[in-house]
Amino acid sequence: MYDLLTNLLGNQIVAYVIAASLPLIFVLTFVLFAVLAERKVSAHMQDRLGPMRVGWHGIIQTLADMLKLLQKEDIVPEGADKTLFNLAPLLTFLGTYAAFAAIPFAGIYVGSSTAIGIYYVTAVSGLVVAGLLLAGWASDNKYSLYGAMRTAAQIVSYEIPTAIAILTMVMVSGTLSLMKISDMQTAHFWNWWILGGPETGIVKFLLIPFMIITFLIYYISSLAEVNRTPFDLPEAESELVSGYHTEYSGMKFAFFFLAEYANMFAVSAIAVTLFLGGFHSPIGYLGHSLGIDWLVPVEQFFWFTFKGTALVFVQMWLRWTLPRVRVDQLMVICWKYLIPYAVVNLIIVGIITLL
Amino acid sequence: MELYDIIFYLVALMVVVSAAIVVGSKNIVRAAYSLLFTFLGVAGIYILLGADFIGVTQLMVYVGGILILLLFGIMLTNKVYSVDIRRENAYIIPSIVIVGIFAAFLIFVMTETNWVTADPTFPNTTVFELGKTLLVHYSIIFEILAIVLLIALIGAATLARNDNKER
Amino acid sequence: MKKYLKNTWDALWTIFIGMKVTWKHLFIPSVTIQYPDEHRPIPDRARNRLYVNIDDCIGCMQCQRACPVDCIDIKTVKALPTDELGLTSKGTKKALWVTQFNIDFAKCMYCQLCVFPCPTECITMTKVFEFSEYEREKLLYNFSNLTLSEVKEKEENYAKFMEKKAAEKAAAAAAKAKAAAEAKAKQEAEKKDNDNKPSSEEKDS
Repeated sequence: MYDLLTNLLGNQIVAYVIAASLPLIFVLTFVLFAVLAERKVSAHMQDRLGPMRVGWHGIIQTLADMLKLLQKEDIVPEGADKTLFNLAPLLTFLGTYAAFAAIPFAGIYVGSSTAIGIYYVTAVSGLVVAGLLLAGWASDNKYSLYGAMRTAAQIVSYEIPTAIAILTMVMVSGTLSLMKISDMQTAHFWNWWILGGPETGIVKFLLIPFMIITFLIYYISSLAEVNRTPFDLPEAESELVSGYHTEYSGMKFAFFFLAEYANMFAVSAIAVTLFLGGFHSPIGYLGHSLGIDWLVPVEQFFWFTFKGTALVFVQMWLRWTLPRVRVDQLMVICWKYLIPYAVVNLIIVGIITLL
Repeated sequence: MELYDIIFYLVALMVVVSAAIVVGSKNIVRAAYSLLFTFLGVAGIYILLGADFIGVTQLMVYVGGILILLLFGIMLTNKVYSVDIRRENAYIIPSIVIVGIFAAFLIFVMTETNWVTADPTFPNTTVFELGKTLLVHYSIIFEILAIVLLIALIGAATLARNDNKER
Repeated sequence: MKKYLKNTWDALWTIFIGMKVTWKHLFIPSVTIQYPDEHRPIPDRARNRLYVNIDDCIGCMQCQRACPVDCIDIKTVKALPTDELGLTSKGTKKALWVTQFNIDFAKCMYCQLCVFPCPTECITMTKVFEFSEYEREKLLYNFSNLTLSEVKEKEENYAKFMEKKAAEKAAAAAAKAKAAAEAKAKQEAEKKDNDNKPSSEEKDS
């Protein structure tokens, strides 16, 4: 991708900048539709209609909201630490966006085809916590601080089951590179890691139940990491106004919103890459059978986005199904259930891969 | 000046400036957040040197772990008990003298040492070699370190346990 | 241990049951009524904005008197005998020009008390309830179909008619007085003529 752009533009720096901004375009478009989708899904699950008035079935409602947010006054509370207050949304979005650098969108496009992709993604998610903590502290508001504390406790705790689930996947696939993991699951959907991956014989069938458990552990803990219901304690509207972004308005609030939805897609994208075949098509490529080369990356991008969006939809679905858990229940789920299961699962999968 | 150099100087500048803020800032939360940028910059330098695994580990351990705990501690104590934690830069002149001597010593060592330079080829991946080194050549040390960490964990759990007999 | 595993299983299973329920609801037609575009049917006897069919109004002011909040303000001018006001739809003959029929909906409380006394059933409740305004003055509805100049004309006509009538009356009275005076004079003359006549004759004149 870089070589292509460098050849096209003749300048390395411009090529880097363009290649680095491509996910931003994707993220912005995704957020525009995800926010609408969230409202529509929530509405229809509650037998309502949701936004209907801006455009056909409210299709450009988010754009209108965006315009509204842009025009809003940018309020900084009096007791707030101004520099840190302004830094927090940027830091939060930075952490989210940095994760996109290692996510392979298609065979030809990945920000950085680094050999330690999945490790990098796990590490940079830590920046999000720093940003949220900062937002809560700099707001000089007790609710914001509570929200930030909850976020930190929650994300730091749930990073452990996430990491162990990822470790399991790294162990069976034998690589940290997201690109390589994706390429292992090429061809058909029975090569997906959730269905035993490219292993053959008895190992594949032995792996399937444990892969499903790994997937569930990863998915549940990733829900907690992106502060989605049932783990949305940090922004619990009914308890903490809206947690760490209570004091934010206008564009800065939009940044938090952007980061939240981008994060939703990021964790879904990791789940897709690790378990559901990444950008590879489950049924083979039309481009290959027709002999059109340029169609293959388009198809790959389509499948990647489709799978990612499907998982985001499940996140929304869960949001409107489950009530919020209590703080102690949150910790019980993490330390007493997810982590023991993840560790036992890791050991069992290790034994199976040795077979 | 190539792209590599530009990025290096930017990252180095970030490390130096943010480290200066860590030392000089009177607001401890600001100092802690400058430390975040220092860690980020150090990770960036590691990655520029080709040590991508170490760089990301730096991020994971320092930004994701230590810094968050640090902030957690600062924020809870600073706000809940309303003790205004502010640093005082008390011993400025002695510290400048000590730092100056130490810096002169470091520069002397750096310029006088006959450095053994490694093969300049950029390693494609360091994970494999690292893994081999850690788990083959230094496996005993690795295991001992793991046990030390386990002991620390058990110790922390024991200290934090509620031994209240009234329950 | 068994409890622990069962607990886990229950948690997952109940989540799936819940998800099944929400999935079903995703396809249930929504209950939302898109209000400005769609309306719920209004009950037949709902009390909303009043309407006055001014053609049927005979200006009896019974509605004004019935109104508990005095939101109806009617002014009438008597018609001339020569004016043809027509009949109401019920066949009552109209005798008054309704020069003003104002209902202030800012005051109206939709009690429907004005509707019952109306002899011609010209004031009725409609089904219109969305008539909010930005200015309070716009809620003052004027139902009279006479223009200001017409009202002035009617008033002048009536005034002229009354003047004329008064003049006629005065003339008649004058004539009468004259006649009476003449009669008196005649009587006196007759009295002079015949004093003996009974007093009953005086009464006759």
